[in-house]
Amino acid sequence: MADQERVGTVLVVGAGIAGIKAALELAETGYKVILAESSPHIGGILAKLDHQFPTNHCGMCRMLPMVGREYASQHCMRKSLYHDNIEIMPFTEVKSIKGSAGEYQVELLKRARHVNPDICNGFGECVEACPVTAPDEFNHGLTDRKAIYQPVPHNVPQMLVVDVDACDKCGECLKVCPTDAIDLEARDEIELVEVDAIIMASGVSLYDPGTQDDAKPYTVSEDVVTSLAFERILSGSGTYDGEIHRPSDGRPAKRIAWIQCVGSRNRRHGRDYCSSICCMFALKEAVLAHEEGGPGMETTIFYMDMRTFGKDFYRYREMAEKEYGVKLVRCRAQEVLKDPDGTLTIRYYDNRAGEFKRDEFDMVVLSTGQAPFEDHKKISELLDTEVTDSSLLKNEDFSKVKLVKEGVYICGSLMGLTDISEAITSGIAASGEASKLLRRINAPRIMEKEVEEKDVDREQPRVAAILCRCKDEKIPEGLDLEPLGAKLKGLHGVDEVHILDSLCREEQREELEEILRKTKCNRLLFGACLPYVYKRKLKHIALDAGFNYSLVEVFNLLDIARNGLSDPDDKGWIGKIVEEIQVNKEKLRLARALHRNIVPINQSALVVGGGVAGMKAALSLAERGVFVHLIEKSRRLGGHAGTELQYTVDNLNTSGMVESLINEVQDSDGIEVHFNHEVARSDGALGCFVSTIRNVGGGETKEIEHGAVILATGGREGKTDEYSHGKSDRVLTQSEFEKKFSSGEIDAGGLENVVMIQCVGSRERGQREYCSRVCCAGALKNAFKIREKNPETRVFILNRDMMTYGYFEQYYTKARGEGIIFVNYELDSKPEVELGADKPVVRFTDHVLRLPMEIAADRVILATGIEPSESNASLARVFDVELNADGFFVEADSKWRPVESNRLGVFMAGLAHSPRTVNEAIMQAEAAAQKAYEYLSRGEIHTPRVVSVVHDSLCSRCRRCVEVCPYNARSFDEVKNQIMVDPEACQACGMCAVSCPNNAAEVLGWNEKQTMAVIDAKLRDESVGAVL
Amino acid sequence: MGEFSRLSEGKGNLNKKVGRFFKSLLEKKVVDAILVPARQPEKGVMPTLISEPVGCDAADPFAPVAPLSSAKLVSSLTSTPSGRPLAVVMRSCELRALIELVKLHQANLDGLILIGMDCLGRFENKDFLKLARNGATTTQFLESALANKEASEGEPALAPACGMCEFPVPQNADINLCVIGSGPEEVYLEWISEKGREVREKLGMKTEEEPAKRQKAVEEIVSRRVETRDAVLAEFDEKIDEVGKLEEHLAGCVNCYNCRVACPVCYCKECVFVTDTFRHPGDKYMNWADKHGFFKIPSDTLMFHMTRMLHMSALCVGCGQCSSACPNGIELAPLFRSMAMRTQARFEYEPGRDLEEPQPLSVFFEDEFAEVTGQAG
Repeated sequence: MADQERVGTVLVVGAGIAGIKAALELAETGYKVILAESSPHIGGILAKLDHQFPTNHCGMCRMLPMVGREYASQHCMRKSLYHDNIEIMPFTEVKSIKGSAGEYQVELLKRARHVNPDICNGFGECVEACPVTAPDEFNHGLTDRKAIYQPVPHNVPQMLVVDVDACDKCGECLKVCPTDAIDLEARDEIELVEVDAIIMASGVSLYDPGTQDDAKPYTVSEDVVTSLAFERILSGSGTYDGEIHRPSDGRPAKRIAWIQCVGSRNRRHGRDYCSSICCMFALKEAVLAHEEGGPGMETTIFYMDMRTFGKDFYRYREMAEKEYGVKLVRCRAQEVLKDPDGTLTIRYYDNRAGEFKRDEFDMVVLSTGQAPFEDHKKISELLDTEVTDSSLLKNEDFSKVKLVKEGVYICGSLMGLTDISEAITSGIAASGEASKLLRRINAPRIMEKEVEEKDVDREQPRVAAILCRCKDEKIPEGLDLEPLGAKLKGLHGVDEVHILDSLCREEQREELEEILRKTKCNRLLFGACLPYVYKRKLKHIALDAGFNYSLVEVFNLLDIARNGLSDPDDKGWIGKIVEEIQVNKEKLRLARALHRNIVPINQSALVVGGGVAGMKAALSLAERGVFVHLIEKSRRLGGHAGTELQYTVDNLNTSGMVESLINEVQDSDGIEVHFNHEVARSDGALGCFVSTIRNVGGGETKEIEHGAVILATGGREGKTDEYSHGKSDRVLTQSEFEKKFSSGEIDAGGLENVVMIQCVGSRERGQREYCSRVCCAGALKNAFKIREKNPETRVFILNRDMMTYGYFEQYYTKARGEGIIFVNYELDSKPEVELGADKPVVRFTDHVLRLPMEIAADRVILATGIEPSESNASLARVFDVELNADGFFVEADSKWRPVESNRLGVFMAGLAHSPRTVNEAIMQAEAAAQKAYEYLSRGEIHTPRVVSVVHDSLCSRCRRCVEVCPYNARSFDEVKNQIMVDPEACQACGMCAVSCPNNAAEVLGWNEKQTMAVIDAKLRDESVGAVL
Repeated sequence: MGEFSRLSEGKGNLNKKVGRFFKSLLEKKVVDAILVPARQPEKGVMPTLISEPVGCDAADPFAPVAPLSSAKLVSSLTSTPSGRPLAVVMRSCELRALIELVKLHQANLDGLILIGMDCLGRFENKDFLKLARNGATTTQFLESALANKEASEGEPALAPACGMCEFPVPQNADINLCVIGSGPEEVYLEWISEKGREVREKLGMKTEEEPAKRQKAVEEIVSRRVETRDAVLAEFDEKIDEVGKLEEHLAGCVNCYNCRVACPVCYCKECVFVTDTFRHPGDKYMNWADKHGFFKIPSDTLMFHMTRMLHMSALCVGCGQCSSACPNGIELAPLFRSMAMRTQARFEYEPGRDLEEPQPLSVFFEDEFAEVTGQAG
């Protein structure tokens, strides 16, 4: 995509995953993004993690665009990232922000790297020469690095940097650098940028056990490490090649303990929050320890509440316990003691046994929580906005991403501690808010420059080799390519040879363009260096000159020549380059010009479900000019929140908010609500869905054409007959109570004892086998409401784990301070409710006193959790998407594509996805709307050149390709009796081509003939070559 | 234990007995037609689609010949179904191939009754015709095969593939025609599946005990054949343990592709070897000749057989039709069996075993072959 005068531009501050996602979304929507990152590398914390829950794989690349993948990198994101519309500025901080929405002026401080990455050849001689060592931050000090170093070992290209604090300016590096890439005197620079909006995604740091006191009783040995350091120990690129050893003496660690909540859930030190991620982190690390550490591994997690509140989290916990034998001990670990032989002993009070215990371990991992405060203060000063009592940035009500200051949005852990899935969702939602602003102020979008391509389909292939001798750059005197040129002139199939001094230089661009103008060739073969960097640039130049993308190849000439350079007598490299050229030339000669198809996108969306998430998504799209059909199966809007919820724990008025949403929807010209309707059938693909909706009573059907689908089917409070529910008006569910209490039907004055029972029918086999996430905060909310009206009421909350993640923890702390009594119970010792003549009697065992208790309760209030909508099953069939075991829709990837289904163009939000709070559902709705808008906003989609196709005359209809396609891009059309490919959904992974025996399924861009020719060109062993 | 019924009617009338059974299927409208090997005017035996009861007189299912695998014929009959009920009489190798073709959507079991038969092997087509001309009967063949008599001097031997086939009794049939353990004089029907038992009820046949000697006899045959298989393949593997030797083994190949046509699980509509991929321009041949000094044509023969190994060795049922089809006598059956044994073991897959078992490469597992992919789970 080409430069243009002024386009809508957004500054994203922070290139962790939330910031990257926000940047990618906006770039895909056609806006320019400046992605600034204060550290020298992008990727944030995730760059260090090899494995993530629940797959125990990485998967970061799954956040890259699927439609429009040609504009972005399509390789491992931990190596590097690029997108045509994103300018990445690592090692850059925000100095000041002035102006307002639509016209922010931002001063960026670009810190000096001291190594010019454009010139550095990556040989690393300077690193060898550097005499200074410092602890390597990337491995959390478990290893050392030099003062000149590569911050992320797996980055490509290598981006060295000088640590000025460690550097003693001895100049050894300067002496050995062959390209003069190092400048120790380089200074930081200030750059002023003008942007329309700002997304803050600067994340959090993690609690440092070395500097604060929470961890003091534990940090007695080198073998007590943080959870992130343990992640580096587990990593294949980490300290011990992925084997688990103790840092102190390198002995294998077989007994490992995790201590939870280190540096979080501690009000005394002003950290009255739950870090939200550590429970799953610890469970995952324990599982990985078993997988990597082999038999004999023993793992124990010491915890207070095991907060498995997210989708499928509880299942993972059960798997960790049952399949891997991870031991969970509920306690507060008192201290870690170091024995003379290095063994670590943990002393703790065992609640169940009622005594102090001591267990021995080889290694102890501290689950050090996220520590947010510093950044918030700095950012609030930069933005000149307020912070909340919890020191968070002040948001608009019910929005997690929209600050009170217009044109500034936040995402990721800056919102207050998130896991990956929420960070990604928030990144998308924040970019959605930004895109709404950009549309409102009519900020222009980047238009793709149309270049007329030379039609070469019927021409004989003619290949021009354009080689760079790298003069003045990496090799001052330049490579001697003359002998090579002479050899190539005689080579069959190479029609022209051009040798340039340095292709990467701007001055050479004209010369190159001149060559491209004059050449008679229709295929180009560039020999240059650093293909990661220059491949795109050279291809773009060729494209601008009218060449077809698939008829241009770039190979790494310098890399092959390297051996020759280090040994001047070795002329073998010329032969190797000739061979490489032979191979590429064969490939090019047989390549076909690949063209893009243009698929028009219907500019409307279908939103299923008129609850909060559905209405919010509909409004968000309508605001951006997308017409929305909102399908609601009942006769009213509002859904679960509209009828069941009155207020939130942070005292926001839910019913008022729902009411105003309903009014907005009804007033909107861009939304047509189809009451009393359901979706009966849907065909088509992204951009061209055709769905049939029908009246719920039966009869009348309507056909709707639309470009995208958002499933927001909502959910409802779970039903139960446990604890005598339904047999007495004194036993109610939380929402039954909430309704009656807020209407005044239940008088607080008459409430002496109230017993709340959590997890009713939840997290239990054969029932709702998941945690519903919202009930603990919901119970606290109603407990406070009761005590607000009657401070004398005694409230007991019987729970299995209090899932007050994030800043809900404050309410838990507050409740305990107020004298609300929390009693823990386990599944094997559930409380009992007996209906008497008068009040129901609740019997349970107090977990601290270990004594049986009996309470005559005025009300027993049951938290029954959230059930998915019953229409999910039929919708899953209609839209060909999956449901999980609990009946919620399955995301394409629970972490990296949290609002997309596995069918392109079908998104999900709210309780259709999983149980969540109102503001979380709203954020998801914004994210789903943005994802839909990202596609719809283009008007038309240019399918990638490299896609898979079907050669129908060869196809036997065996359908193996359909079964094996991981992207649902292939289907069998019974009527046409043909295999169909959706080119937008196809990611060219090649699974179909592998499964098809006779090339009826082919991934364009690399055909069988090319394979044969390349093998043939590479084969030097004559005996083998002859028989093929 | 399965349900069995004996086909009655006096001794010495093997084909009459089975013919009457087939007739009853047509007369009682259990099916509209039967595909069964039947005698042809020129003494050959070919699969024949019989829809009139009188045609059943020529049925000769146990005739020791299979000029082609009937799996592909059943594919033609059912991939675009007629909608009419049909019975097909197949050998175990044919039936197993059919199961694979069904998985590949090349055939369809709806309305189809699978009648299997105890298989004691087949002769090469030419040999069978010679024997038939000399008046050999199917009953004689079964008698001597069941008695495990070696072919006498000058007499043709069975096709080598049959001697090492582990499936004298077919899998996945609805009904099976049984002679092992009872002999050609006493043919039994085994009603195996639900579909098969329904047929028995329609025909009103009584059930009996399994012939007493049957199980043991089957086991003996299987163990004999496994022994033969192991011996043959062990010897054969040495013949092809290097690319050069393999090339030598295949030296006579003329790219006629008969083996591919004969292969029941090679299901491509158009083979990649007849597409442009292997149609080279003249200068390519000249380059090869220049590069090596000499260059055998047809080229791509090794490539062809290796490609077939790659494509179908996981599905190979060991029927031996490839060897039978080769005009130049290349021993292809042991080559493919040898390869198939290994690929099938590696994927823990057995063709024809279970209709629900997904074929290798038709499903994607994140964690498999870690030693190849380098990506441990």
